[in-house]
Amino acid sequence: MAKNLSELRVSRRQLLKGAAAAGGVTLLAACTSAAPPAATQAPVAAGAKPYAGTTVKLLMTQIDYGTGLSENLADLEQKTGIKGQVDMLAFQNLNQKADLELSTASGAYDVLQMIYIRTGRWIGAGWAEPLDSYINDPNLTDKAQFDVPDFVSGAIAPFTVGGKIYAFPWLADCTIVGYRKDLLEKAGYSKFPETFDDLQAAAAKIHTPDVAFFVTQNNMHWIYPNWMLSYGGKFFKNPPTDLTPMFNTPEAIKAADMFTTMCAKYGAPGCGSLEAAVAETIMHQGKAAVYLDGTGNVQQIIDTKRTQIADKFAFTQTPKGPAGHFPQLAVHGFLMNPAGKNKKAAWEFIKWAVSKETMLKMAMNYGHIATTRSSVLNNADVRKKYKWGDSDLTALEEGVMKQAGEGGYMAYRTVPSFPPVGDRLAQAITSVISGQAKVNDAMKSLQTDVIGILQKEGVKINP
Amino acid sequence: MSSASVYVANRRPLSHTIRRSLLYFLTAILLVIVLFPVFHLVELSLKPARDAFVMPPNLIFAPVWDNYALVMTPKFLQPLGNSAVVSVATTVISLILGVPAAYALSRGHFRRDQALSLWTLSTRMAPPVAFGIPFFLIYKQLDWIDTLHGLVIVYLTFNLSLVIWMMRTFFDGIPTALEEAAYIDGASIIGTFWRVTLPLCAPGLATTAIFCFLMSWNDFFFSLILTRSEAVTGPVAIANFMNYETWEWGKISAAGTMIMLPVVLFSLAVRKYLITGLTAGAVKG
Repeated sequence: MAKNLSELRVSRRQLLKGAAAAGGVTLLAACTSAAPPAATQAPVAAGAKPYAGTTVKLLMTQIDYGTGLSENLADLEQKTGIKGQVDMLAFQNLNQKADLELSTASGAYDVLQMIYIRTGRWIGAGWAEPLDSYINDPNLTDKAQFDVPDFVSGAIAPFTVGGKIYAFPWLADCTIVGYRKDLLEKAGYSKFPETFDDLQAAAAKIHTPDVAFFVTQNNMHWIYPNWMLSYGGKFFKNPPTDLTPMFNTPEAIKAADMFTTMCAKYGAPGCGSLEAAVAETIMHQGKAAVYLDGTGNVQQIIDTKRTQIADKFAFTQTPKGPAGHFPQLAVHGFLMNPAGKNKKAAWEFIKWAVSKETMLKMAMNYGHIATTRSSVLNNADVRKKYKWGDSDLTALEEGVMKQAGEGGYMAYRTVPSFPPVGDRLAQAITSVISGQAKVNDAMKSLQTDVIGILQKEGVKINP
Repeated sequence: MSSASVYVANRRPLSHTIRRSLLYFLTAILLVIVLFPVFHLVELSLKPARDAFVMPPNLIFAPVWDNYALVMTPKFLQPLGNSAVVSVATTVISLILGVPAAYALSRGHFRRDQALSLWTLSTRMAPPVAFGIPFFLIYKQLDWIDTLHGLVIVYLTFNLSLVIWMMRTFFDGIPTALEEAAYIDGASIIGTFWRVTLPLCAPGLATTAIFCFLMSWNDFFFSLILTRSEAVTGPVAIANFMNYETWEWGKISAAGTMIMLPVVLFSLAVRKYLITGLTAGAVKG
């Protein structure tokens, strides 16, 4: 029930505490490093509900997986006695809110979404509880049932630091391509171009003022790396040990030139600054032939409730470049808040939220293809559900996850300094697409600025 | 006078008619430009998802109410109710505290009344984001996060300066001779304020109230930072229809229309006062 104005009364003690907090604003950094309280719950007894009456709160992004968790909280309560609460925010807002809640050690949420690009920063700051002691305690975890090895390597790797696991993945967004099969066939392409060079050639043939060849979303530090890594470019020299930025290399500049040309010359109007939902809508309207983005987004183009041309779409892997094939992966997990008050109950919640049963239910009933468990991806019903014509979405998903996990090329994305570097990169790429800067100048200026950003953050680099 | 001469006298020059027609035409164009986003919002809310972005757009269509049915859940209705409670409470308290303060600053003679007026504006001298973390930390200690009264208090800090500055201008425009006449008739200061000055400022009061209400009703930042689940307000709830995988355009537009409606109706109800209030003081009488 909503709290109301009748609660306006404030005790003298509360006022004094508030005044003390106001005085301590400048000591925010000190507040953020407050030591987490120790776990207080008793071990789980078989068949009992030791957590009856305990509430566990989760903060995550607004997504169908979260809706699914909300709608199935009764299962959790039935099994453990835990009363779950799922608060969901738009992703942009979650970034701000989660940072604030964790940095101030508010302890209001027991479990939070581990945001992929904040992994390094949050784990480094001690804002995620190491989970190994919970996994290895037979009173708390049935290891065979929980089955840690069932998580695909590429999905759990970002959350494993120094041999410790800090979060469990539930969402693995993998870049793939959704395209209009009819338009490509009409132009003589029986299959999708396999390299970015071929993609550019196809764009020149197929692009018209009415139907653009290409569209993508505006998160440039997520889309451009598909080109960058494939042409031999890198963000950093050897992350996480050597963070020397590599934006002014010929490979990175060539990739930037190819990508920005694709957007500016062959892209839908506004390409490079469109929200993912707008890019999807352009595909729905039949105004573009190719859409490159994460699995979670790209599969939306076949939503028959929103488009009349869903049967014309097909899916495939992203093209390769001279240096190889580097589809991108963004993994999100659930972390345990060190400042939370109910840690063992929080662990029960996490186990339930990423369990095989829950994830299978999400894949089957809530459109969650970006799943992270091998058993779910290989489930016959799931594979059947995510077949679209000749396209096998689960195979694409699993392929990218394994490739990224084995290749280790996504390490750049979880270094603590990535968020500001990524933002600066996005500015540079957007400025080239919009014609405000030449690609060489933009990348050189990006290199200089990123060195500044890293030095400001205390990173030692060798320019 | 013959009927023919009356007709000639009433005829307006052709240039006047043309000028007037041109003005109407330009006004119509301006209205279309200004109101198009509102029209588009309402139109989207009434279209099925498949037809929402069809090009060329279907301007004639059978409206469907599915999007409204989808947002009529506690997930949106509770935040909408919270918005109403917080905005009304903030407006009423801001007026109760701010109007007498504005009157005092207008009529009183303080040594540093200009400086005092300026300091009331200090809460608006920095963008809201600058106050976000301090408020969060204070509220965390007071256990006021995710409470409606917490939001009311934070909005008060911003709205009070608005009330004081706006109402002071209106009070300055009321001749003191009217109040002096009331004093001669035996009225007290409070009685004069209540029976003479305040009624004369009714348009200003209505204008100020609307602005106060809008400031709280449309706030997104503090609602995002200082609430979690119980006290979330409408604007944050609408933003939450921006799903990670896709944006739910139909729900966003239906919820947007619903959140706009009370303000539009209220503004229409008090439009007479609003126009008088907005133009008061524009011409020195």
